[in-house]
Amino acid sequence: MDINLIQTQVENDLNTVSSASELESVRVKYLGRKGVLAELTGLIGTLPAEERGLFGKQVNSLKNKLLEFFQEKEKTLKTQGGTVDKNRQDIGLPGIAQELGSSHPIIQVIDEICGIFNRMGFSIVEGPEIETEYNNFTGLNIPLDHPSRDAFDTFYLKNYPKLLLRSHTSPVQVRAMKAYKPPLAIVVPGRVYRPDAVDASHLFMFHQIEGVLVDENISFADLKGILGLFIKSVFGEDIKMRFRPHFFPFTEPSAEVDISCIICKGKGCSVCGRKGWLEILGSGMVHPNVFKQVGYKPGKYTGFAFGMGVERIAMLKYGINDIRLFFENDLRFLKQF
Amino acid sequence: MKVTYSWLKDFIDIKISPRELADKLTIAGLEVVSLEELEKSVSPSGRDFVFEIEITSNRPDWLSILGVAREISAITGSKLKSAKTPKVKFKGLKPIEILVAESTDCPFYSAMIIRGVKVAPSPEWLKKRLEALGCRSVNNIVDITNYVLFESGQPLHAFDLDKLSQQAIYVRRGRPNESITIIDGQQKILDNEILVIADKNRAVAIAGVMGGKNTEVTEATCNILLESAVFNPIVVRRGRQKLGLQSESAYRFERGVDLENAQNATFSALKLISALAFGKPDAYKHLGSIRPIKSVINLEMDYLSRVLGVSLSVLKVKQILSGLGFTVKVRGKNVLTVKIPSFRQDVKTQIDLVEEVARIYGYEKIPLSLPAVKPHKIIPTSREVVSDIKIILQGLGLQEAITYSLVDRLLLAKSGIKKDIPPVEILNPLSKEQEVLRFSLLPSLIRTLAYNLNQQQEYVNIFEVANVFSAKPGSAQHSTMTNESVRPSVQEELSLGIALCGARPFFIKQGLVRDEVTILHLKGILESLLNKLGVKNYDFSPRGGNQASIIIDQQEIGFIVSPSEQILNSFDIKNKQVVLGEINLVKLLSQINLTKKFTAIPKYPAITRDISFVVREDVSIRELLMAIEAKGAPLLFSAKVVDYYQGKQIPSGFRGLTVSCTYRAPERTLTEEEIAPLHNAICALLEERFGIKLR
Repeated sequence: MDINLIQTQVENDLNTVSSASELESVRVKYLGRKGVLAELTGLIGTLPAEERGLFGKQVNSLKNKLLEFFQEKEKTLKTQGGTVDKNRQDIGLPGIAQELGSSHPIIQVIDEICGIFNRMGFSIVEGPEIETEYNNFTGLNIPLDHPSRDAFDTFYLKNYPKLLLRSHTSPVQVRAMKAYKPPLAIVVPGRVYRPDAVDASHLFMFHQIEGVLVDENISFADLKGILGLFIKSVFGEDIKMRFRPHFFPFTEPSAEVDISCIICKGKGCSVCGRKGWLEILGSGMVHPNVFKQVGYKPGKYTGFAFGMGVERIAMLKYGINDIRLFFENDLRFLKQF
Repeated sequence: MKVTYSWLKDFIDIKISPRELADKLTIAGLEVVSLEELEKSVSPSGRDFVFEIEITSNRPDWLSILGVAREISAITGSKLKSAKTPKVKFKGLKPIEILVAESTDCPFYSAMIIRGVKVAPSPEWLKKRLEALGCRSVNNIVDITNYVLFESGQPLHAFDLDKLSQQAIYVRRGRPNESITIIDGQQKILDNEILVIADKNRAVAIAGVMGGKNTEVTEATCNILLESAVFNPIVVRRGRQKLGLQSESAYRFERGVDLENAQNATFSALKLISALAFGKPDAYKHLGSIRPIKSVINLEMDYLSRVLGVSLSVLKVKQILSGLGFTVKVRGKNVLTVKIPSFRQDVKTQIDLVEEVARIYGYEKIPLSLPAVKPHKIIPTSREVVSDIKIILQGLGLQEAITYSLVDRLLLAKSGIKKDIPPVEILNPLSKEQEVLRFSLLPSLIRTLAYNLNQQQEYVNIFEVANVFSAKPGSAQHSTMTNESVRPSVQEELSLGIALCGARPFFIKQGLVRDEVTILHLKGILESLLNKLGVKNYDFSPRGGNQASIIIDQQEIGFIVSPSEQILNSFDIKNKQVVLGEINLVKLLSQINLTKKFTAIPKYPAITRDISFVVREDVSIRELLMAIEAKGAPLLFSAKVVDYYQGKQIPSGFRGLTVSCTYRAPERTLTEEEIAPLHNAICALLEERFGIKLR
């Protein structure tokens, strides 16, 4: 029997081994009680005395070699994980981790919009929800007993004359301008309240984001530029926008901003009322009367302001058709965002 | 407001299609919200279209066919066909007695007596014109007054002359105990805030709003008194609101009518009355000025280009303003002198003219530019920290909710969440759900839990960050801008509410586990939150019942609670444990410390010795740990509960507990011999004071 040949055979056998059980059977074949090596050892006694010494040495060195081989193979199998059978998992079983919660879709839209303006250099500020009649109306050039107030139906507080729940985020303009001198660049997110009957598109509480930029030479062209950038950031590069004259007491010239309908791409559908356009925000140049109210010099400064309803944008963005879903807080709704 | 294509054509040649016209009007600020072709039966003279236009409250001059036609002229450049006011000969007309008590209430009043009218149904063309605008035909006289209103914007009113007590008109405020039955049959109580038209004895109309039943023009009417007046917009508005009335007349008076047109309207009506009802004028009188003071405004070209961001030529600006009916004179290169026509009382300052120029020039032609947004002093805000708090909670699996700040008073009461002071009430809620401002987020969150449980959710974990309101005097501190003179005396504070219920299903290696929510789950969430926010020395201090206060530096910043079964039943939550927590974020924010400082990693090993024991379950673990810590100082580094157990091997009324004590000295390695006496002393203390039995 050629001892070298046995060594090669063992090497070949070990190469095919991929598990501990296979390794064990190869080990038994060569090193077991009735294995090849035991057979060789048995042969020693049958040899002539002068050959026994050399053969015995060869068998012994083969045995050592084989032990080394097996040891090494065992190591390799272990590192390959081939021997950890009892710990093996089917990867098809569910993964194990803490499920994450998410922020409310309205908050996500607020964060996205404020983030865009923040990157353009606007600071994010907030104001109280209980406001004075002055900040909500008079300071914004909305006179008492004027039909322009009809657009701002307002909840008043019992026992606190002159206090109300803000009907828009614009009073924060007044607060900010009174507190800080130009240049002023702010965006203001927050809750607002109006006594509206509840239906699929109206609620008595909703969210707005207000923005103001005042400096020495801010123009209507700048308003168009900033809002254009904003709208493309939210709705994509292909969106078209249109500035339409409108009336707000606190801005002049005022504009309502429409975007091409994101559902029908401007062809006309039920979402845009067949107009092809969606009204998305109100804006304009800050009225000189507002500057007078807050103590800015109207001749020195110009500026623009804009405001938008967050729910409307969120509904368009996510394809939601009933505003009430936002505040029902059904987990099957919330977890989609 | 509605206008028809055919009626507009009386005043202007329109060469573009109705659709194109609608688009042009919209882009000029007269938003056409619908454009419909009229049915054949309503438009006998060929195809006709009705435009519904949303007129902004600053433009009363657009509330008429003539006003819209004027605008079309400015947009298209087509000339307005001059509306010829019929000449009326005053000679031979007798005077009428008119008494206006307060000229500020009624700057202009005119009355004309027309005799011998034959009241009858209107001819078809007149009926159709009115019906196309959604106005019901009554009889020829009433229809003519409406016709003039829609065409010129001036409201008129016709009284049955013979039902007036004398041929005299009084314009005065309502008197105590006075009332009037208006044409729709309703009786209205009058008072000093309501302006009325009266004869010698009684009120016969609510000025500018609606006529009275007692002097209504009927088929029996032979002689009429035709009123055309200008009433104070604020007085009309207040009176109308107070009486809960609405009318086409009031709508126009509130916004302001054209003084110059008020007299002409009578003559237009007279012409139609002569032709259709055969009436002859008999007497006429007007009080007050018919010539309004026409203001002159200087428009600086520099200002115009500075506001719009585009330079327009003087010629272009002059052309635009002239087209709109302004009289423009060029004074030098930089200034235009603009005379304001009587129908444009809304134009008061330069900026109003800038808007007119921009509107007709076209907003779409103004280029886009990007200004330098100059960063100024950073305005301090709690927004970022609040955002961190939300992210931490979401990482712990909680879902953010938004619920209404206005709630039903009953909801607050049944939630069991109490405040010493009553909630802030709303003066004018539309429904019970808007009665009061909430002082806690938790009632709404319980309701949200209940809703979701009812939707077969087995695990509900939500939070909300919002303001809560209380009547306590104080100020809204979370606002960064606190400069104004009038401070709200209602407190408004940012609050965090958390609500958990049900069993959280999750996997461990051996399979699914359902982890029933307890108050400890909420405690764990809050501990993670407070630790992450760098809040030290917080404590959950029992407050009786299944409730605990969250204390930082002896100040209560919030609480956690598990509401009673009775409360949960009132929300239809059955056989479930609910845990709630609320934290005053204004107080918490003042304790947050996000500055980090490095502490050296210990050089010497610690020795850890566990104590396993059985203790009565009514023994406070919090006190027990505090006792260990007090006894073990300063070598005891920490004492933590590492296991607890109740079950088979533990007698009932007791619990098994394992507390792990870690001993450490900063400057050397401690020896077993050093620790043993201290550790034994702790065990002895526990046996003695808390009656524990070592296991």
